[in-house]
Amino acid sequence: MDFRLTEDQRNLRDVIRDYLDKEHGPEVLRRLDEGERRDPAIWAGLVEMGIAGLLVPENHGGLEMGLIEAVLVATELGRANVSESIADTALIAAPLLAGDRQEALAAGELRVALAHPINPWIADLANADMVLTGGKTIAAPEQCEALESVDPLRLLYTPMSADADDALLDRAALITAAQLLGAGERMLDLATEYAKMREQFGQPIGSFQAIKHHLASVAVKLEFARPLIWRAAYAAQHGHARAPIHISHAKVAATDAAVFAAETAIQVHGAMGYTYEVDLHFWMKRAWALAGAWGDRAFHRQRVDEAVLGGTLPITPDQTFASE
Amino acid sequence: MDLAFTPEQQEFRAEVRSWMEAHVPKAPLKTLEGREGFDEHVAWERELASGNWGMVTWPEAYGGRGLDLIRWLIFEEEYWRAGAPLRANQNGIFLLGPTIMEYGTDEQKAKFLTPMAKGELIWAQAWSEPNAGSDMAAIRSRAVRDGDDYVISGQKTWSSRAAFADWCFGLFRTDPDSKRHKGLSFILLPLDAPGVTIRPIRQLHGETGFAEIFFDEVRVPVANRIAGEGEGWSVAMATAGFERGLMLRSPARFQAVAQRLVALYRQHADTASPDTRAAVLQAWMDAEAYALNTYHVASQVIAGAHIGAEASLNKIFWSELDRSAHRAAMSLLGATAELRTLPGGKGGGEENAWLEGYIFSLSGPIYAGSNEIQRNIIAERLLGLPR
Ligand SMILES: Cc1cc2nc3c(=O)[nH]c(=O)nc-3n(C[C@H](O)[C@H](O)[C@H](O)COP(=O)(O)OP(=O)(O)OC[C@H]3O[C@@H](n4cnc5c(N)ncnc54)[C@H](O)[C@@H]3O)c2cc1C
Repeated sequence: MDFRLTEDQRNLRDVIRDYLDKEHGPEVLRRLDEGERRDPAIWAGLVEMGIAGLLVPENHGGLEMGLIEAVLVATELGRANVSESIADTALIAAPLLAGDRQEALAAGELRVALAHPINPWIADLANADMVLTGGKTIAAPEQCEALESVDPLRLLYTPMSADADDALLDRAALITAAQLLGAGERMLDLATEYAKMREQFGQPIGSFQAIKHHLASVAVKLEFARPLIWRAAYAAQHGHARAPIHISHAKVAATDAAVFAAETAIQVHGAMGYTYEVDLHFWMKRAWALAGAWGDRAFHRQRVDEAVLGGTLPITPDQTFASE
Repeated sequence: MDLAFTPEQQEFRAEVRSWMEAHVPKAPLKTLEGREGFDEHVAWERELASGNWGMVTWPEAYGGRGLDLIRWLIFEEEYWRAGAPLRANQNGIFLLGPTIMEYGTDEQKAKFLTPMAKGELIWAQAWSEPNAGSDMAAIRSRAVRDGDDYVISGQKTWSSRAAFADWCFGLFRTDPDSKRHKGLSFILLPLDAPGVTIRPIRQLHGETGFAEIFFDEVRVPVANRIAGEGEGWSVAMATAGFERGLMLRSPARFQAVAQRLVALYRQHADTASPDTRAAVLQAWMDAEAYALNTYHVASQVIAGAHIGAEASLNKIFWSELDRSAHRAAMSLLGATAELRTLPGGKGGGEENAWLEGYIFSLSGPIYAGSNEIQRNIIAERLLGLPR
């Protein structure tokens, strides 16, 4: 038993974080918001970093990594508010596609949209090359109708017919939880920085205990969502039967942490946080959007509820990491 | 204690109800935070005034009906029951009006109150500055005396609806050598005065609901000052009391939210999680508690009591209640919560008012004095804890 990330995993996370800090800062979000909202150059950069092929086997041109790496990368994507469909394509769809497709995918030449009846929308359908639904890929429709999200960088479309697929749902919920965690971490950073800089009554507002306690409470929530996501990724990677329950547990915790981080961050920013000029709103809106994506908290809580209170999941401490 | 309405009070309720049923716009108005919607809301203010409903508690001489606070609460219950629009006039009737009533001269009352009740002059509040938010005593904008005028220079910010309003009431430093709370004065001025520039600020949902106001040597008659020179702070604290207390946010508003939330819950009962169900119920129970507290406070005020720091209790309760009610609604809406327009329904579905409401509810714990500041006030002034 060793719950630490390996050195390679930490390096991967740091490399992606450094890259996104440099190449995908708030000024990029503003440029996208004022323009086309998607940018082939951003996509190309993410492909260059190896994200497209992260989960693709080496013999198909990928890095052949696993779900732990996928959630680490997804957390960074959430932290940087990346809106390209790279998470959907590379971290969720890739392993569910046939080999030749994976090759194109790893090369960044294929974008996949995900359709599932649990969502009333399909994200990034208009620029997708194909749609994954019900365990099959089908052609993207010629025409689709746009829906407006509170999140200005999300591109949503009304669903074409979608078929259920538990494997897709679980993977997508896990990756979404990781993105929520990243968004929450970023909001905590933004609010903490602001609290150090903004002065009232002749001192930084971060020196007031009320503000310290707010931010500390967010740190606690995030800290305890993180290992749930990692365990869920591990269990799914190793094919544990209870992985779906762990994923649900992680999605609920990540949702609650991110929504709480948003409410707290805006409070710490005061009226500044209520403006479009300050960056915070991009992450708050992403958190509100992802909170309901791939199973809302009611759905995932219910899955945990049935397993735990319904008695199908052994709950003694020796079972925390069990595979059955 | 007598918790029954008198026959006269019940008659009054019936009168308000039938007027509202006949006059409240059938379709919701556009948002108060944008130009078009603002104009629609001002038109509604005039309609209200035509029925003499502008501000029922004010003396008849100033366009009111001279009624007590219990009738005011009844009026509000019927107002929200009818689904009537938000008040474009809220800064005037709920904040400045009561302040003028308490501190204004007879001339000021005559000049400002009636047009206010009639919705003819819409007011913005110009207190906050970039470096004077929670720390309002750090105000720097100054008003320099020059004969019978003040010459005002400086900057205000976050002024709600200043982009559309006619006049503002502000706090300015009239004594250049003064520090902190001393040397501030409470001054009224038209927003189209020469030297005033307004820059709308885009809010996080995209509308320009508040604005910066720049003053470049703006001339204002000294007669526009409320109370004495240098007494602005205590006047403003009284206004803030109205803002935090029972005027600005009457319970019926939150009872209406709670009622809609219960209806939303019923639509989603089969998928709602038990903790969201609990949150819905709690929102209703809290709205009820807020109503009871308000009736209690109103009864005390009618009997002559003065509400001071207690208004901070109120402000925390309504703002946090509003936020949790809307958060519960977002949970109920699940995957559709993020959508600006809810799917389904004939002809393309309806606007997602819960989303807008949730976003606005996040500002409640910030404006009218942040909840952290309110908790400090409660701890220090009501509980007597050391500063
Ligand atoms: C929607 C909206 C409408 C508004 N409308 C108006 C208006 O019409 N007119 C007007 O004049 N103003 C208006 N305001 C401004 C409002 O009054 C201020 O936002 C508020 O007073 C807080 O000031 P600030 O935004 O500068 O935050 P800051 O004072 O910078 O506060 C930031 C954070 O620090 C905390 N903090 C500050 N000091 C302390 C302390 N001593 N102890 C503990 N915590 C502390 C605050 O509680 C807050 O959480 C509006 C604001 C909003 C959001």
